[in-house]
Order: sequence, then C-alpha cells, then structure tokens
Amino acid sequence: MEQIKLPTGEKLWQSQLPNGLSVFVLPKPGFRRTYAVISTHYGSIDSQFRREGEQVLSVPPGIAHFLEHKLFEEEEGSVFDRFADLGASVNAFTSSTQTSYLFSTTENWQEALIQLIEFVNKPYLTDENVEKEKGIIEQELRMYADHPQRRVYSALLEGLYQRNPIRLDIGGTVESVREITKEQLYDCYYTFYQPGNMALAIAGDVEPKEAHSLIAEHYPEWSHYSGPVERFFPTEPKEVAKDWSEEEMAISRPQYLLGFKHDPIWRGEEILRQQLIMAIAWRLITARSSQHFNELYDKELVSDSFGASFSCHPQFAYSVIGTDTDDPERLHDELTRIIHELRREKLCPTELDRLKRSLYGGHLASYDSFEYAANRVISNHFNQIPSARFLPLLSSITAEQVTAVFTDLLDWNRSSVSILRVKG
Amino acid sequence: MNFVQCNLGAGVRLHLCETDKFKSLTCKMFIQQDLNEEHATSTALIPLVLQRGSRQFPSVAQIARELEYLYAASLGMDVLKLGERQILEFHFQMVDPSLLPDSEEHLERGLRTFWGIAADPAVENGRFNETFFSQEKANLRRELEGILNNKHAYAMTRFVQLMCAGEPFAIHKYGDLQSLAKLENEGVYRHYQSLIRSYPLDIFLVGTNLDVIANLLAQLISEREQVVDLSLPKGVDVAKLRYFCEGTDVQQSILVLGYRTNRTYLDDGYYPLLVANGILGEFPHSKLFVNVREKASLAYYVGSNVEGSKGLLTISAGIDWREREQALAIIKQQVEQLRQGDFSQAELEQTKVGMINSMISMADNPSSLIVRNLMGVVHGDLRSIDTVVEQIRAVEQRDVVEAAEQLVLDTTYILGPQGEVGGTNGTN
Repeated sequence: MEQIKLPTGEKLWQSQLPNGLSVFVLPKPGFRRTYAVISTHYGSIDSQFRREGEQVLSVPPGIAHFLEHKLFEEEEGSVFDRFADLGASVNAFTSSTQTSYLFSTTENWQEALIQLIEFVNKPYLTDENVEKEKGIIEQELRMYADHPQRRVYSALLEGLYQRNPIRLDIGGTVESVREITKEQLYDCYYTFYQPGNMALAIAGDVEPKEAHSLIAEHYPEWSHYSGPVERFFPTEPKEVAKDWSEEEMAISRPQYLLGFKHDPIWRGEEILRQQLIMAIAWRLITARSSQHFNELYDKELVSDSFGASFSCHPQFAYSVIGTDTDDPERLHDELTRIIHELRREKLCPTELDRLKRSLYGGHLASYDSFEYAANRVISNHFNQIPSARFLPLLSSITAEQVTAVFTDLLDWNRSSVSILRVKG
Repeated sequence: MNFVQCNLGAGVRLHLCETDKFKSLTCKMFIQQDLNEEHATSTALIPLVLQRGSRQFPSVAQIARELEYLYAASLGMDVLKLGERQILEFHFQMVDPSLLPDSEEHLERGLRTFWGIAADPAVENGRFNETFFSQEKANLRRELEGILNNKHAYAMTRFVQLMCAGEPFAIHKYGDLQSLAKLENEGVYRHYQSLIRSYPLDIFLVGTNLDVIANLLAQLISEREQVVDLSLPKGVDVAKLRYFCEGTDVQQSILVLGYRTNRTYLDDGYYPLLVANGILGEFPHSKLFVNVREKASLAYYVGSNVEGSKGLLTISAGIDWREREQALAIIKQQVEQLRQGDFSQAELEQTKVGMINSMISMADNPSSLIVRNLMGVVHGDLRSIDTVVEQIRAVEQRDVVEAAEQLVLDTTYILGPQGEVGGTNGTN
C-alpha cells in the first residue's frame, strides 16, 4: 500500500487489487462514523462504446442513472432493508462521468462494507422491475423540471454544446427513459462495472490494512468482459449551439447564466492547476471582497446567489457565471465590461496572496467532511489528478496566469447566455 | 462530545465542547424570542443589514477581505424558526489555528471581527446605515417573493399558513411582505438593540483551546439588561379536517398532509412519536417509501417528519396530479397500519438503529453537534446524545402504537398544475 501525505498532515492509503479495483483508505481517528463509496468511471455522457472485438453500442440518454436506481433491486428482500438492519444508511448518485454507491454508519462498518460490495456486484433486472422504475424516474425528472436553477442550467448547456452529450440531462428525458430495456442495462453494467473501471474509498476510524484485506477478501471474481472499453463522443464544433436562449417559468425574478465553452485540453495535474487559476479568476468578479461584486450589488443587479464555476473533464470544459437579477440585459452588459477591464487590470500581489490563503484554508477545512474528501479522492483518481499536489500548485500560480483567463480563455465567440424569465 | 455550560452574565449561556477532532473552530450564537407578527419581519431584516458592515469594517468588501486573509474564515447569519420561537443565528468558523502558519493572533482577530459584526454595527444617528437598510429591505422583499421559486418549499409554506392560520406558527421565519413595507430604520434598530441586550443568548463553541476563547468572549460581551421572559412554546391539540388545493405552473404536484401529534419535546411520549415517524416515513425502509414509491411507483420522494416543538407530523410527496387519490389512499393506509400496530419487530428495530446512527453521526460534524441542541435550548432542557440514544433504545412496540393513536389528521394540501385545479377547497 502506498501512503500519500495530505495538506492537513493526514495520510491517504492507496492500493490496487489484482482484479484492477483501486482502493483508498482515509483514516479519521476519533470519528464515530464510517463512510464508504464505490464508484464506476461511467456516467451520463458514456452512451456510445465498444468492447474489444465487438460492435459499437448506442444506448438511450439517462441509462447510467437508470442503472444506479436498479442496482438497489434484489431477487429477494431489499438492499435498503439489509443496510437498515445494520443501522447504516445507503445511497447513490450519478454525474455526467461517474456513478457512485455509498453508505454511512456508526456501527458494523465491516459488515456494511461487505454488503455494499455485494449489491454493487449483483444486478437483478427483470422486464417487470425495469418497467416499474420508469414511473419513479419520471417523477424525479418532473421534480427537476420544476426547479428554476436546474432549468436555466440545462438550457445553458444546450446552448453551449451542439453535439457532446453533456448537453443532455443526466437523467435523460421522460421519453428516453421509457425506451430503456433490461438488455441495454445489462450491456452497460457488464461493460462499465468491471473492477478495473472502478474505485472504492473508505473514510473513518478504520485501520488501513484491515480495510484493505476485507475488501480484497470480499470483492467477487469478475467473470464477464474485462478489458479496454472504447468510448465514442461526437466531435464538438468550436461554435456554440445558441448564443442566447430564453424560457419562462412561474418564478419571482429572472435567472441569468453566462457560459463559455473551452477546448478540453487539460489532463491530470493541469486540470487541478487550471481549476485553481479559475477559482481565483472568478473570485475577482464574484467574491464579496471584489470591487466588481460590490458595484454590481450596489446597482442591485446581483443577489447573494451570484457565483461562478469551472467544469473540466477530458471530454468537455466550460465556465459559468450567473445569478437571479431584475435586469438580465443590463447585468450582461456590465459583465461584458468587467471581463474586458480585467484583461488590462494587473492583479496586485497582496490580493493574489489573500485569495490563495482563502483557497488554502477552504481546502484544509474540506477534510472535515469526509463524504466530500472521499468522493474527491475518487474523482481525482479517475482523472489522474494528484490530490497531494494542491499546495505546491496553488503556490505556483501567477498573476499572469489569472489575467490569461480574461485575455484568452473567456472567448466571447464561444459564449452562451441562458435566461429564465418571469411568466405572465 | 458533550458541552460544558457556564453563565457569562444575565441571560448569556456559554456551551463549550473541547475537542481536537476537527480541522476547524466553530462558534454559533443564538438569540431567541417569541415568534410574533409584530417583530418577525424586523428580526429577519437584521442579519441582512448587519452583514453589510460593522464599525470596524464598514463594508462588505472589507469584511470579506479580512475573512479571506484569515484563511477562509466563514461568517454567516440567518433566522431560524423552531416551534413558536424565532431565532437569530450567528455562525463563525475558521481553520484551527494549530494547522496554520503565523496564526496565534488570528484566532483573536477572527473572533473580534465576528463579534464586531454581530454586536457593533455601522450606525449613524441612532439607526443603521441608511443605504444598507434600504438595500437590504429590497433584498428581503425579493427573498420573500422568491419563496415561490422552490416549489416544495412554497408548498410547505402555504400548507403551514393554511393549517395553522391564526396561530403564531403560521408566520414565516422571514416574516411577510405587508409588515416589511412598513418597516422603518429607527424601529428595526431599536428592536435589534433590545434583542442583543435583553433576550436570551446562547453561545456554542467546538474546537481546541476554548478557555482562551471563552475569556475573550467574556471581555467582549457588554453589560446586559434584565432578560426578557419568553412564553412557553405551546402545541395545539385541536385538529380540524380540512382540504386545500392550489394551482400554479408545475409539472409535478406536491401533496402534503398535516397531523397534530398531541405530544411535544417535553412530553414522556416524545421519543415513541419520533420512532413512529421513523417507521412511517423517515428512511428508505419506511412504510411510505416502500409502499408509495417502491411498490406503487407513484413518487420519487415521499417522507414524513416531526416538528417536535409545535407537535406536528407532516407527510409530503411529489406525485402526478392524476394519481393524487391513489397516493392519498396509500398514505392514509400506512398511518392506519401504524395505529393498528401492523409493523414488524424488524421494522421497529431498523428504525431505532437508523435513528441512533444519525444521532451518533452528529458527533462528527461541528455544526450538527451544536444545532441539535437548539430544541433543548428553546425548551430549557438540553439532552446529550447519549441520553437521546437511551430514550430511543427504550421505545417498544406498544409505545409506538400509543403515539400513532394520538395522531389526528388536520389539513390536506395539494399544489397542482394550473388549469387542473378547480374549486376544491373546503372541508371534507
């Protein structure tokens, strides 16, 4: 087992089982709870793929999320019951690139871990139970459709991307979900749930060697396809699909989002570096410490919800900034002006240093939430981002790199605006 | 992970939990008062205005720069509602100084900043800074109007207004638009001063070297006047069977049922009530999840929870409008089964261990560790995690049935799609 020293002084233990499963243990002495998560590097964007020597398979949008629901099904009894017997709570979530199954418990962590490994490795699908799930997922999708922030964000991704499946909702649509069959679900399962495509992380007051041997002992043999999976993504044109889109909803105040599409050029450590550069750059506009934020706030153009993000993956990269506002057009003009000004403004060393301190403190505190810490360990692993490099990378960031965000990265020819207006 | 309590003067209680488990120092302060129409909106405006600037840091940018310099110290304020009390909450968190370089003085610097923002605001001529006041008044208006944006929260707000009409509990934690329009700077400032000087104040700290912090706080707290006596939170035991339907622009309908529990936090039967709620709708093994979602495929989310101060049990589900009758029937059937004792020993045990698991888990999060005590603070009866675990463990089947027998359905509410919803309000 390899030990990695984290910025908090804690250690992360890393190993790989002979079957290819990557295992991470984050010991948390003194904590009462144990959290474990198994993830597959497979999410909503992986809808076209080929196993070696076979034909290309195309599956309907929303299938990764559907499969996540269905793994809780068993021939006899229920997964929820088995965890409930142990006093553990179990859950799962799907993102565009990853599907994760997790539990949290204060008792019997060993038994809960065995159960987690077992149910993720034992799909039980019938035509009947697949059909039954469609009503539940339809209600889930309708709940999201009534959620204004989610609606305006989905519309933005549809505006930014012409072909990449990131433009579709993670859960698919009511129609695409209705098309999904048992056979397609099994195809996806036996392709992407092979141990070599998965990782397990556990955090809590556990002994790393004990956790490792328990996992090694109970992780079942994989007797299905084991080998490379070629994933196909449509070539995404440089141009956005739509530079401006609007919808209406029964809300109290319009919502505004501005997005920029980037070429997904970053890999490994460079992803982390770019994430830190973007975090600093966006703070120059959205942080409460920023002069720009305070001007916009005084003009009553932004609310407390004003914020920005950067999403980066080998298949897509984009930046988003936005808020609810009474006057989306005026806010758009102001942001255009501010981003333009920031091309010429020199970031002063005191400010850069202060923003770095803030990112560093936030990073240290994030280890108090071990859900967050364990989930990040896994997504970093899938994207080959070295977790322990946080501090040296942060220290190395220069004012010029931050300015380059405004001069080069935020390209207005590749931007899109999404507005949700007040109905009626 | 228990708190040691001491008094720091009239109505000021300090609760300390010394531990090196966390990477952060966490401080929360609560000032509580009776929830009433006269003051609710005024109280809600206070945290918004205070966060705009203190005497020492008279702008948002100056406060934020100081917090960034202190390695992302975080500072927040909000208003909470617990039963018929309204609570002003102040939150401060910073990375444990022992993990940082050159940081011994940071702790004091951070706490002084926090205290200054809470207790020493930017004031001019006996009132808040006028720009801050008028801008934040507009922001609170947007916040109140914005309740509509989250359909589930909106449905719950409307439901409580209808079910508890005429009771203080019907008041939203942020007050209402009519009262907001009438608020004036001087009046809100006077209200703030009386809150900070003469209402019960509880300060909770979780972290290391708390004696140093306690001493510092003792110096900062100014002379206080006599403490205002609050009314005892009271439940309501009259249930009226009512049915309300409202329409808006939604794809999914939200169904809410409200039961009067006839027992609250201070009653002997409180923990049996919580266990009954657990069996009914708190977990994925609970009756509602299994029968409404897993068996009938009618909902993605369905669950229940207890408001233990007022004595309400609420069930909510996101459903298709056309399936509302079916969903209602299955939900009512689950409550009936609980009353009949129609649940297995396994359901009872799973629920108890599930509740104990979430109770013990609170010891791993500094904010939960603090917030879980609010119910005890409001009712003047703080209970440790161990005590609560023992109480839950002792609950037996017949206690659950007794609790369920006391549940009386009061109000059924549906928020449905505009156009489908007709004149279906009234009693049934």
